[in-house]
Amino acid sequence: MNDPAPYPHPVASTGNDPVASTGIDIVDLAATDPQRTGNYRFYSRILSAEEVALYDAPVLGEQPFDKYVWLLWSIKESVYKYTSRTDNGLPFSPLTIPVLQLDPPSGDGFYKSMIIYGSEMLYSRSIITDRLIVTVVSSDENFDHTWWGFRSVDAAGYMAQSAAVRTFALGKLHSALSRADLKIEKTAAGCPVLLDGKELLDIPVSLAHHGHFVAYSYHLPADPLPLSSNNSLYRKSAAN
Amino acid sequence: MDRRTILEELKKVLYPYTENKELLQHIDDDTNLVKDLKINSANLVDIIIDAEAKYNIEIDFDSAEKIITVGNCIDAIAEKIK
Repeated sequence: MNDPAPYPHPVASTGNDPVASTGIDIVDLAATDPQRTGNYRFYSRILSAEEVALYDAPVLGEQPFDKYVWLLWSIKESVYKYTSRTDNGLPFSPLTIPVLQLDPPSGDGFYKSMIIYGSEMLYSRSIITDRLIVTVVSSDENFDHTWWGFRSVDAAGYMAQSAAVRTFALGKLHSALSRADLKIEKTAAGCPVLLDGKELLDIPVSLAHHGHFVAYSYHLPADPLPLSSNNSLYRKSAAN
Repeated sequence: MDRRTILEELKKVLYPYTENKELLQHIDDDTNLVKDLKINSANLVDIIIDAEAKYNIEIDFDSAEKIITVGNCIDAIAEKIK
Protein backbone atom coordinates (compact mmCIF):
# COMPACT_ATOMS: atom_id res chain seq x y z
CA MET A 1 0.00 0.00 0.00
CA ASN A 2 1.44 3.36 -1.00
CA ASP A 3 1.08 6.74 0.61
CA PRO A 4 -1.58 8.92 -0.97
CA ALA A 5 -0.26 11.10 -3.76
CA PRO A 6 0.77 14.58 -2.60
CA TYR A 7 -2.06 17.07 -2.72
CA PRO A 8 -1.02 19.79 -5.15
CA HIS A 9 -2.37 22.86 -3.40
CA PRO A 10 -0.18 24.86 -1.03
CA VAL A 11 -1.46 25.59 2.45
CA ALA A 12 -0.72 29.22 3.12
CA SER A 13 -2.19 32.39 4.49
CA THR A 14 -4.22 34.47 2.09
CA GLY A 15 -4.64 37.47 4.35
CA ASN A 16 -3.23 39.22 7.36
CA ASP A 17 -4.92 37.01 9.90
CA PRO A 18 -2.78 34.28 11.40
CA VAL A 19 -3.46 30.87 9.90
CA ALA A 20 -4.91 28.36 12.30
CA SER A 21 -2.78 25.28 12.52
CA THR A 22 -2.14 22.27 14.68
CA GLY A 23 0.76 19.99 15.42
CA ILE A 24 1.03 16.67 17.23
CA ASP A 25 3.76 14.17 17.93
CA ILE A 26 3.90 10.85 19.73
CA VAL A 27 6.86 8.84 20.99
CA ASP A 28 6.63 5.12 21.67
CA LEU A 29 9.10 4.75 24.52
CA ALA A 30 9.63 1.07 23.71
CA ALA A 31 11.10 2.19 20.40
CA THR A 32 13.67 4.41 22.09
CA ASP A 33 16.99 3.54 23.67
CA PRO A 34 17.22 5.14 27.14
CA GLN A 35 20.96 4.58 27.36
CA ARG A 36 21.63 6.24 24.02
CA THR A 37 19.16 9.03 24.77
CA GLY A 38 21.05 9.81 27.95
CA ASN A 39 24.34 10.11 26.10
CA TYR A 40 25.49 13.71 25.68
CA ARG A 41 26.28 13.19 22.01
CA PHE A 42 22.65 12.27 21.47
CA TYR A 43 20.68 14.65 23.66
CA SER A 44 22.88 17.63 22.83
CA ARG A 45 21.42 17.40 19.31
CA ILE A 46 17.99 18.03 20.79
CA LEU A 47 18.41 20.03 24.00
CA SER A 48 20.20 23.33 24.54
CA ALA A 49 22.21 23.91 27.71
CA GLU A 50 19.28 25.96 29.06
CA GLU A 51 16.91 23.09 28.42
CA VAL A 52 19.23 20.62 30.15
CA ALA A 53 19.28 22.98 33.13
CA LEU A 54 15.49 23.10 33.10
CA TYR A 55 15.47 19.39 33.91
CA ASP A 56 16.89 20.19 37.32
CA ALA A 57 13.62 21.83 38.34
CA PRO A 58 12.51 19.63 41.25
CA VAL A 59 9.19 18.40 39.88
CA LEU A 60 10.39 17.85 36.32
CA GLY A 61 13.31 15.89 37.66
CA GLU A 62 10.93 13.20 38.88
CA GLN A 63 10.86 11.87 35.34
CA PRO A 64 13.87 9.90 34.10
CA PHE A 65 16.14 12.06 31.99
CA ASP A 66 15.52 10.05 28.82
CA LYS A 67 11.79 10.72 29.14
CA TYR A 68 12.55 14.41 29.58
CA VAL A 69 14.60 14.39 26.39
CA TRP A 70 11.76 12.77 24.44
CA LEU A 71 9.22 15.09 26.04
CA LEU A 72 11.11 18.08 24.68
CA TRP A 73 11.58 16.30 21.36
CA SER A 74 7.83 15.81 21.07
CA ILE A 75 7.17 19.45 21.94
CA LYS A 76 9.69 20.63 19.36
CA GLU A 77 8.43 18.24 16.69
CA SER A 78 4.85 19.39 17.32
CA VAL A 79 5.92 23.04 17.03
CA TYR A 80 7.70 22.18 13.80
CA LYS A 81 4.59 20.52 12.39
CA TYR A 82 2.48 23.49 13.45
CA THR A 83 4.74 26.05 11.80
CA SER A 84 5.73 24.05 8.73
CA ARG A 85 2.12 24.12 7.58
CA THR A 86 2.69 27.70 6.47
CA ASP A 87 6.43 27.54 5.94
CA ASN A 88 6.99 24.52 3.76
CA GLY A 89 10.73 24.99 3.43
CA LEU A 90 11.38 24.94 7.15
CA PRO A 91 13.93 22.31 8.24
CA PHE A 92 13.33 20.51 11.54
CA SER A 93 16.04 21.81 13.77
CA PRO A 94 15.28 20.97 17.42
CA LEU A 95 17.90 23.30 18.84
CA THR A 96 16.28 26.31 17.18
CA ILE A 97 12.97 25.67 18.97
CA PRO A 98 13.52 26.80 22.55
CA VAL A 99 11.53 25.33 25.42
CA LEU A 100 12.43 27.60 28.27
CA GLN A 101 9.46 27.02 30.52
CA LEU A 102 7.75 23.74 31.34
CA ASP A 103 5.11 23.20 33.97
CA PRO A 104 4.34 19.82 35.52
CA PRO A 105 0.77 18.51 35.65
CA SER A 106 -1.52 20.39 38.00
CA GLY A 107 -4.66 18.29 38.15
CA ASP A 108 -5.44 17.92 34.46
CA GLY A 109 -2.54 15.57 33.80
CA PHE A 110 -0.83 17.75 31.21
CA TYR A 111 2.72 18.98 31.13
CA LYS A 112 2.42 22.49 29.71
CA SER A 113 4.84 24.81 28.03
CA MET A 114 4.87 28.05 26.12
CA ILE A 115 7.15 28.36 23.12
CA ILE A 116 8.03 31.54 21.28
CA TYR A 117 9.19 30.52 17.84
CA GLY A 118 9.69 33.13 15.15
CA SER A 119 6.64 35.37 15.32
CA GLU A 120 4.48 32.66 16.90
CA MET A 121 3.60 32.23 20.54
CA LEU A 122 2.56 28.62 20.94
CA TYR A 123 1.36 26.45 23.79
CA SER A 124 1.88 22.74 24.28
CA ARG A 125 0.18 20.06 26.29
CA SER A 126 1.85 16.73 26.83
CA ILE A 127 0.97 13.44 28.45
CA ILE A 128 3.62 11.07 29.75
CA THR A 129 2.83 7.47 30.57
CA ASP A 130 5.00 4.43 31.09
CA ARG A 131 4.65 3.63 27.40
CA LEU A 132 4.41 6.89 25.51
CA ILE A 133 4.78 10.63 25.32
CA VAL A 134 2.30 12.64 23.27
CA THR A 135 2.28 16.39 22.71
CA VAL A 136 -0.13 18.71 20.94
CA VAL A 137 0.55 22.36 20.11
CA SER A 138 -1.83 25.26 19.61
CA SER A 139 -1.67 29.04 19.39
CA ASP A 140 -4.63 29.08 21.80
CA GLU A 141 -3.63 28.69 25.42
CA ASN A 142 -6.99 27.09 26.21
CA PHE A 143 -6.94 24.69 23.25
CA ASP A 144 -10.64 25.44 22.84
CA HIS A 145 -10.81 24.41 19.20
CA THR A 146 -8.12 21.77 19.13
CA TRP A 147 -9.22 18.15 19.16
CA TRP A 148 -6.77 15.35 19.52
CA GLY A 149 -6.46 11.73 20.38
CA PHE A 150 -4.07 8.83 20.47
CA ARG A 151 -4.27 5.10 20.68
CA SER A 152 -2.22 1.96 20.40
CA VAL A 153 -2.26 -0.04 17.20
CA ASP A 154 -1.23 -3.57 16.38
CA ALA A 155 0.01 -2.49 12.99
CA ALA A 156 3.74 -2.85 12.63
CA GLY A 157 5.52 -1.04 9.88
CA TYR A 158 5.47 2.46 8.55
CA MET A 159 2.84 2.04 5.87
CA ALA A 160 0.46 0.11 8.09
CA GLN A 161 0.78 2.74 10.81
CA SER A 162 0.30 5.50 8.28
CA ALA A 163 -2.94 3.87 7.18
CA ALA A 164 -3.99 3.24 10.78
CA VAL A 165 -3.55 6.86 11.84
CA ARG A 166 -5.59 8.08 8.87
CA THR A 167 -8.38 5.66 9.70
CA PHE A 168 -8.28 6.79 13.33
CA ALA A 169 -8.36 10.50 12.48
CA LEU A 170 -11.01 10.16 9.80
CA GLY A 171 -13.21 8.20 12.15
CA LYS A 172 -13.21 11.13 14.55
CA LEU A 173 -13.61 13.69 11.79
CA HIS A 174 -16.57 11.81 10.34
CA SER A 175 -18.18 12.01 13.76
CA ALA A 176 -17.50 15.73 14.03
CA LEU A 177 -18.36 16.89 10.50
CA SER A 178 -21.31 16.31 8.26
CA ARG A 179 -19.18 15.43 5.30
CA ALA A 180 -19.52 12.32 3.20
CA ASP A 181 -16.23 11.79 1.46
CA LEU A 182 -13.51 12.82 3.85
CA LYS A 183 -9.96 11.86 3.13
CA ILE A 184 -6.52 12.97 4.23
CA GLU A 185 -3.83 13.57 1.67
CA LYS A 186 -0.46 15.24 1.81
CA THR A 187 0.95 18.30 0.12
CA ALA A 188 4.17 17.95 -1.82
CA ALA A 189 5.89 19.24 1.31
CA GLY A 190 4.42 16.40 3.35
CA CYS A 191 1.79 18.43 5.19
CA PRO A 192 -1.50 16.56 5.75
CA VAL A 193 -4.63 18.23 4.40
CA LEU A 194 -8.29 17.29 4.78
CA LEU A 195 -10.50 16.98 1.73
CA ASP A 196 -14.14 16.24 1.13
CA GLY A 197 -14.03 14.67 -2.29
CA LYS A 198 -11.91 17.17 -4.21
CA GLU A 199 -12.75 20.09 -1.94
CA LEU A 200 -9.92 21.22 0.30
CA LEU A 201 -11.32 21.89 3.76
CA ASP A 202 -9.92 24.64 5.92
CA ILE A 203 -9.40 22.30 8.84
CA PRO A 204 -5.76 21.84 9.77
CA VAL A 205 -4.88 18.25 10.58
CA SER A 206 -1.73 16.78 12.05
CA LEU A 207 -0.83 13.09 12.25
CA ALA A 208 1.85 11.17 14.11
CA HIS A 209 2.87 7.56 14.44
CA HIS A 210 5.76 5.88 16.16
CA GLY A 211 6.19 2.29 17.17
CA HIS A 212 2.79 0.99 18.18
CA PHE A 213 1.06 4.31 18.76
CA VAL A 214 -0.74 6.75 16.51
CA ALA A 215 -2.08 10.24 17.21
CA TYR A 216 -4.01 12.95 15.42
CA SER A 217 -5.02 16.54 16.05
CA TYR A 218 -7.22 18.94 14.19
CA HIS A 219 -8.38 22.51 14.63
CA LEU A 220 -12.02 23.46 14.17
CA PRO A 221 -13.30 27.03 14.17
CA ALA A 222 -16.06 26.01 16.57
CA ASP A 223 -16.64 23.07 18.86
CA PRO A 224 -17.97 20.08 16.99
CA LEU A 225 -20.31 17.53 18.46
CA PRO A 226 -18.83 15.76 21.45
CA LEU A 227 -16.87 12.71 20.52
CA SER A 228 -17.10 9.41 22.26
CA SER A 229 -13.98 7.68 23.44
CA ASN A 230 -14.98 4.16 22.39
CA ASN A 231 -11.90 1.96 22.51
CA SER A 232 -9.42 4.70 21.86
CA LEU A 233 -7.62 6.87 24.29
CA TYR A 234 -9.19 10.21 23.52
CA ARG A 235 -8.50 13.62 24.88
CA LYS A 236 -9.84 17.02 24.14
CA SER A 237 -7.50 19.33 25.84
CA ALA A 238 -10.12 21.87 26.91
CA ALA A 239 -12.28 20.89 29.83
CA ASN A 240 -15.30 18.95 28.66
CA MET B 1 36.94 8.97 -0.44
CA ASP B 2 34.59 9.72 -3.32
CA ARG B 3 30.84 10.24 -3.02
CA ARG B 4 30.03 6.82 -4.42
CA THR B 5 32.10 5.14 -1.72
CA ILE B 6 30.49 7.26 0.98
CA LEU B 7 27.07 6.40 -0.42
CA GLU B 8 27.77 2.66 -0.17
CA GLU B 9 28.94 3.08 3.42
CA LEU B 10 26.00 5.32 4.23
CA LYS B 11 23.62 2.54 3.21
CA LYS B 12 24.98 0.52 6.14
CA VAL B 13 24.28 3.42 8.50
CA LEU B 14 20.73 3.81 7.21
CA TYR B 15 20.02 0.07 7.17
CA PRO B 16 18.76 -0.36 10.76
CA TYR B 17 16.42 2.59 10.43
CA THR B 18 14.97 1.73 7.03
CA GLU B 19 12.03 -0.60 7.16
CA ASN B 20 11.99 -1.50 3.47
CA LYS B 21 15.63 -2.50 2.97
CA GLU B 22 15.10 -2.87 -0.76
CA LEU B 23 14.71 0.89 -1.08
CA LEU B 24 18.34 1.32 -0.08
CA GLN B 25 19.50 -0.29 -3.31
CA HIS B 26 18.14 2.62 -5.31
CA ILE B 27 18.98 5.65 -3.21
CA ASP B 28 20.79 8.66 -4.65
CA ASP B 29 21.54 12.25 -3.66
CA ASP B 30 17.90 13.26 -4.01
CA THR B 31 16.45 10.52 -1.81
CA ASN B 32 14.61 12.11 1.11
CA LEU B 33 15.27 10.25 4.34
CA VAL B 34 11.79 10.73 5.78
CA LYS B 35 9.55 10.94 2.73
CA ASP B 36 11.26 8.36 0.51
CA LEU B 37 12.89 5.94 2.93
CA LYS B 38 10.12 6.36 5.53
CA ILE B 39 12.65 6.79 8.28
CA ASN B 40 10.98 8.07 11.42
CA SER B 41 12.14 11.57 12.30
CA ALA B 42 12.92 10.30 15.80
CA ASN B 43 15.76 8.28 14.23
CA LEU B 44 17.45 11.18 12.44
CA VAL B 45 19.64 11.89 15.45
CA ASP B 46 20.57 8.19 15.55
CA ILE B 47 21.74 8.40 11.95
CA ILE B 48 23.92 11.41 12.67
CA ILE B 49 25.44 9.75 15.74
CA ASP B 50 26.07 6.51 13.84
CA ALA B 51 27.67 8.36 10.92
CA GLU B 52 29.89 10.27 13.33
CA ALA B 53 30.99 7.02 14.94
CA LYS B 54 31.57 5.26 11.64
CA TYR B 55 33.83 7.98 10.26
CA ASN B 56 35.20 9.23 13.59
CA ILE B 57 34.01 12.72 12.78
CA GLU B 58 31.80 15.31 14.39
CA ILE B 59 29.01 16.74 12.28
CA ASP B 60 28.33 20.28 13.42
CA PHE B 61 24.83 21.45 14.24
CA ASP B 62 24.55 23.66 11.16
CA SER B 63 25.33 20.73 8.87
CA ALA B 64 23.11 18.39 10.83
CA GLU B 65 20.02 20.55 10.49
CA LYS B 66 20.44 20.52 6.71
CA ILE B 67 20.38 16.73 6.54
CA ILE B 68 17.15 16.03 4.73
CA THR B 69 18.37 13.97 1.80
CA VAL B 70 21.01 11.31 1.22
CA GLY B 71 22.99 13.95 -0.66
CA ASN B 72 22.94 16.20 2.42
CA CYS B 73 24.33 13.28 4.47
CA ILE B 74 27.12 12.68 1.99
CA ASP B 75 27.93 16.40 1.93
CA ALA B 76 28.17 16.53 5.72
CA ILE B 77 30.43 13.46 5.85
CA ALA B 78 32.59 14.47 2.86
CA GLU B 79 33.15 17.89 4.38
CA LYS B 80 34.65 16.33 7.50
CA ILE B 81 36.81 13.58 6.00
CA LYS B 82 38.40 15.49 3.15
